[in-house]
Amino acid sequence: MTRWGIVADLNRCVGCQTCTAACKHANATAPGVQWRKVLDIEAGEFPDVRRSFVPVGCMHCDDAPCMDVCPTTATRKREDGLVTIDYDKCIGCGYCIVACPYGARSKVTEPARAFGGKQMRHEALREDPARLNVAQKCTFCIDRIDGGLARGEVPGLDSEATPACVNSCIASALHFGDLNDPDSNVSHLLAENESFTMHPELGTGPGIHYLYDRDDNAGSAGDAPIDGPPEMVAEPVGMGGVVPKLQNVWDWRAATNFILGGTGSGLAVAGAVAGALPLVFAAALMHIALGLFAVWLEIGRPWRFLNVFRHPQRSWMTREALAAMPLFACGGLTVLTGHPAAVALTGVFGMIFLYSQARILNAAKGIPAWRQKGTIGLIAVTGLTEGTAALTALAGLAMMGGLVDVTQVPLSGLCGGLAVLVAVRHAAWRSYRRGLGETGAPVETFKALDGAALRLTAGHQMVVVALLLGALILPGATGAALAVAGAAVALASGWAFKGVLITRAAFDQGYALERFPARGAGKPARGVKPGWSLS
Amino acid sequence: MTTPKATSRVPSYCYQCVAGPDLLRVKVTDGVATEVRPDDAAAEVHPAGGKVCVKAYGLIQKTYNPNRIKVPMKRTNPRKGRDEDPGFVPISWDEALDTVAARLNVAREAGLFDESGFPRVAASFGGGGTPTAYMGTFPAFLSAWGAVDMSFGSGQGVKCYHSEHLYGELWHRAFTVSPDTPSAELVISFGANVEASGGVCGIRRHADARDRGIKRIQVEPHLSVTGACSADWVPIRPKTDAAFLFAMVHVLVHEIGLDRLDVPFLKHTTSSPYLIAPNGYYLRDPATEKPLIWDAGKGRAVPYDTEGTDPALIGPFQVSGLELGPDDVRWMHEGVACRTAFDALAEHVAPYSPDWASAICDVPANRIRETAETFHTHAHIGETTEVGGRTLPFRPVAISLGKTVNNGWGGYECCWARTLLACLIGGLEVPGGTLGTTVRLNRPADNRWSSVVPGRDGFMNYPMNTTKKGEWTTQGKSRHAHQALVPLAANSPWSHALGPTHLAWMMQKEGFDKLPKPTPPDIWFVYRTNPAISFWDTAAVSDAMANFPFTVAFAYTPDETNWTADILLPECTDLEGMQLIRIGGSKYVEQFWDHAGFALREPASEPQGEARDFSWISTELARRTGLLEQYNEAINRGAAGVRLTGKEWDFSLASDKVHSVEEIWDASCRAASAEVTDGAETQGLDWFREHGFRTRPFDRLRWYLYPALVDQGLRFELPYQERLLRIGKELEARLHETGITWWDRQLKEYEAMPHWQDLPKLWEDALEAGFGVDVGDYPFWLLTARSMQYSWGGNAGLQMIHEVASNIAGHGGVVMNPQAARKLGLKEGDRIEVASPLGKTSGAVVLRHGIRPDTLLMLGQFDHWKTPYAKDLHTPSMNSLMPMLLDLTDATGSSADLVKVKVTPLEKDP
Repeated sequence: MTRWGIVADLNRCVGCQTCTAACKHANATAPGVQWRKVLDIEAGEFPDVRRSFVPVGCMHCDDAPCMDVCPTTATRKREDGLVTIDYDKCIGCGYCIVACPYGARSKVTEPARAFGGKQMRHEALREDPARLNVAQKCTFCIDRIDGGLARGEVPGLDSEATPACVNSCIASALHFGDLNDPDSNVSHLLAENESFTMHPELGTGPGIHYLYDRDDNAGSAGDAPIDGPPEMVAEPVGMGGVVPKLQNVWDWRAATNFILGGTGSGLAVAGAVAGALPLVFAAALMHIALGLFAVWLEIGRPWRFLNVFRHPQRSWMTREALAAMPLFACGGLTVLTGHPAAVALTGVFGMIFLYSQARILNAAKGIPAWRQKGTIGLIAVTGLTEGTAALTALAGLAMMGGLVDVTQVPLSGLCGGLAVLVAVRHAAWRSYRRGLGETGAPVETFKALDGAALRLTAGHQMVVVALLLGALILPGATGAALAVAGAAVALASGWAFKGVLITRAAFDQGYALERFPARGAGKPARGVKPGWSLS
Repeated sequence: MTTPKATSRVPSYCYQCVAGPDLLRVKVTDGVATEVRPDDAAAEVHPAGGKVCVKAYGLIQKTYNPNRIKVPMKRTNPRKGRDEDPGFVPISWDEALDTVAARLNVAREAGLFDESGFPRVAASFGGGGTPTAYMGTFPAFLSAWGAVDMSFGSGQGVKCYHSEHLYGELWHRAFTVSPDTPSAELVISFGANVEASGGVCGIRRHADARDRGIKRIQVEPHLSVTGACSADWVPIRPKTDAAFLFAMVHVLVHEIGLDRLDVPFLKHTTSSPYLIAPNGYYLRDPATEKPLIWDAGKGRAVPYDTEGTDPALIGPFQVSGLELGPDDVRWMHEGVACRTAFDALAEHVAPYSPDWASAICDVPANRIRETAETFHTHAHIGETTEVGGRTLPFRPVAISLGKTVNNGWGGYECCWARTLLACLIGGLEVPGGTLGTTVRLNRPADNRWSSVVPGRDGFMNYPMNTTKKGEWTTQGKSRHAHQALVPLAANSPWSHALGPTHLAWMMQKEGFDKLPKPTPPDIWFVYRTNPAISFWDTAAVSDAMANFPFTVAFAYTPDETNWTADILLPECTDLEGMQLIRIGGSKYVEQFWDHAGFALREPASEPQGEARDFSWISTELARRTGLLEQYNEAINRGAAGVRLTGKEWDFSLASDKVHSVEEIWDASCRAASAEVTDGAETQGLDWFREHGFRTRPFDRLRWYLYPALVDQGLRFELPYQERLLRIGKELEARLHETGITWWDRQLKEYEAMPHWQDLPKLWEDALEAGFGVDVGDYPFWLLTARSMQYSWGGNAGLQMIHEVASNIAGHGGVVMNPQAARKLGLKEGDRIEVASPLGKTSGAVVLRHGIRPDTLLMLGQFDHWKTPYAKDLHTPSMNSLMPMLLDLTDATGSSADLVKVKVTPLEKDP
């Protein structure tokens, strides 16, 4: 089976950006949007400095995270390895953008106007409205490949059948061909040279391979060892185009979905466990609905939102949407009837919804702070904690107001349960944070997580526990007030954490160079991962 | 159902930079140019497989740029200056052309030369001559007109490879010098930024060479794009390259030793065995006046061209003979001790050891020594190779020099040492070695071999401007006095551009003593150049042009130079106009091909607005000035690129008629086809429209000058510069006889072999003397470097170029070492003011470890204040910080992009 791919010879690349420009021509990309480009990476300290140029774009991965997460199946993978986007299906949710660890995808909201004002003639002629407000990326010039094949040409050898970037390369640094054909041009290059792929630790199987040394020159790097992963450089200089950047496709609206959706679903679960009044479930559904409405406001093609249900096989966003359906149905029934079965099912679907949210974040491989294994437990327990906190607050307020009991469980029970959840949440946070420190993450991610005003750290969460203990000890309204206060802090710290996690700590993967290439008679050197650190 | 769009692929070329031309196709859809693509059909003949570089991809935006000037305009505000809005208003083409023609007719009536003897018409074209590939038949109009002053430079001498142009042409017909990259094993590059400025041919060839395992050592104060692509980077102190090169010569001569050099090459192909008489000139045979060598075989001195000799390289010898000094001074010597030129060289470079150079260059001595030894090791001395059926020496090592290295003071030293090093290992103009790729001062300009004409003393002839008494004159035909001041600039059509072009601007402000009274040109044509931002001391240049009475600008967008114009003429841009040019053969930089021929630039888009084809404009100017006949005849002679008549063909245009643009280029295409096929075929414009280009093989042997010299029994004029020594003395005499002493410092450059002078201190002293400052207050050296995305393109106003260029570090800011930044409390992105004693600019800090802590770098040339889009980039440029000083002007009339600066943090964003 054919597997199209690019081999980029880093010994040959000079960073001229001709390929970048040729791509812009071939694909009429908007000003500021580059489906592919060449990075300028420097490492070392004067006078021992290395500088290299690295072409990047969509890697057309074997195991493409963008395809897995896409809720609409707009992103697909052809049998020949090309990852495609169906602009007519895409809802512009941006999930694939945060899922891509190679920064390959973008979303354009305005027609192209390089100089502002009226579109230039070529801009107007080539404007494709279908590409507005949806995800877009490098296609490997799929039309050229398919057209060439239809004409009996060989992509990578016949220019018209070859991606424009490769065809334009003035240094012959870029090569295109069938990676699965052992006799292809690219297979020969890979066989005769040392190579790497970018971010191999993520297991995506990228379709762009980088040559960094000839086979007969390998391993002779002099004194400098080149084995091992690239060196993390926490404070690189002059690397603005390379270091991890804060993702900007999911803003407060997406965060609101995780905050309100988490709290609402947690409340549904807690309410079901604690035998809460139907009104509590109404509040839970309202939270979830508001969260979903917020994220609806964010998607680029909101009136195609039904496409979100198209990918239950892989996409956790689809699953979240699917879970919401019975959740609202059962929740509605609970509000109307209070039937125990409806209550129980609401709790179950609430849990599924919450779990789906956790998995949504975790599946976004492009964001190191999200893809951590510990994210799932942390987000789930945070939602449960928030839901329990909300329930505890409601119960406390009801008690203070002399109203009916909100749950069948006494307030003290809620406080105790909340205290346990807060402790578990803190443990989950510690586990998550420790995991992040072990794998490393963008420096700015650490700064954002560790610098938040209200955090899930022991110090902050002890306040919650102390308040809840107070509530358990002190009787009557005072205890209830303390319970409400403790619940509020628990709730606020969960919301603050998720707000930070989604909008401020969500730095993308950035770029890394596994090896600096040998230049001519020079030697290769260990690579660099700018803007990253451990702990 | 949508209507299918009509598409076509229109042939064109890109010659925006001197490293072209390269071929391309433009995809045109429904009459709109939409994509630039390589010309795949050229893959077989073009050294870079028919590719074009990133700049060519800017041409679509260039065509449809809304900021273009699309109608002729005239100035309504008679006052000129940066603060004077010209008040341009649209006019018709008739009014515009009639206005220009009327001025021209008045000037012609008054005589082609003004009261100072200068041409009344001046013209400035940028881009190292590349605008001729876009100005259609305008050269024929200029030819028909007669004398035109092209001495108002737009960067020449500072932004070019000036010393290389002049000394390169003298020594090996090398207006531009290149390694024979397709065969080289080792290239030592002193600041030559080939990966940014070598064009697609250079890029491709160096990439191929890296694949072969070439070792390139980049000696440069910052880690440029080229340094990044090199095996080694040596961060040398700015402007000390000459010391490094001298030390390399020292290592070869004194440490490796003569026996291990290419002795046959030195004996028979250089002046090394020539005997030096006591006054420093060659000892000559009194009868023939030919220089003498010592024949070791016969044990006596004989004329250099005596058959069957074994020239001695090591002397001295007791010899009698004639010594010819300047102004025909003659000394007869009897039995005097004469050294050989090689002896003189050995003595000359004895002090220049690697240890000596180390302190100057801030490079460890062993690294300098290793570099020289590596150069020698890779030279393969003694090996030969077959090219075109001929056996030639094979010496796959070369040294290339960047522009700040080889222009201005120190340029002579570096060019001499570089060329000499090639001679020491027998690697000049042979396969693998150091090549010239084109000639401009010698003739014919399209054929290096034919330009090898025997001159005196066994060397190639060189068309020096005379320094002979009675012949030398200050009444030259250019405003920068190149004929009077720079003998090496010669007097070809290119000499105006190769003289001291900044002097033309300086003289506008204040004349030079004893030279003709400075006058502005009556009419100044300006095209594809923007000296108001692209020269040094750009404020002074702008002031000067504001005093020109009538400026005609072929204008693309408003810019800083056409701000002072009187008439703006919107010409068809690259993708709108039509032209046929020569391609291939051996041209600038690394453009030496295995094929040669012609390529057509076919319009890919209708002209925007009322833009007109340059050839139409030229024809109309010729008609309206009564020069139509001379203009057509000039076209027939080949002034538009190809002679229309040949041995067996005649496509000449009727001289009394107005010919359309298509008629002119159809005739040119037919003549070109005939030339390429020796008259067998005569296809016209339609054929070229379909095929784009036509070539025939170009013998690779012609890449090398060595065979042409050997065939004529000539030698490279190295190491000893007896001719320059004599000319310098004569020039000194002429100038002093005239009372000119302000060029005395430059006269010191006329040495038989250059001595090291403390070049950094020379710069510092000039600044202190010129501005009364303490140079200690200016701790940084400020340098610039070319950017492939911008270099030569005049494309700072194109959004796409800015966008893609931003992927490469350094664009848009001031590159600074983090150690230096820390000391000043600066971090990435901080805005700073960079000030020289002359002026200041501002920009954002770009931190890079790949630069010396004592050095700053500003890429490209910006400082725009009028050019749309570019003016909003807030990109710093060093041009306004560079003083125009005679103290910083070398004998060839050039200076270097180099100045001392200080840095001050700025509080606010612009």
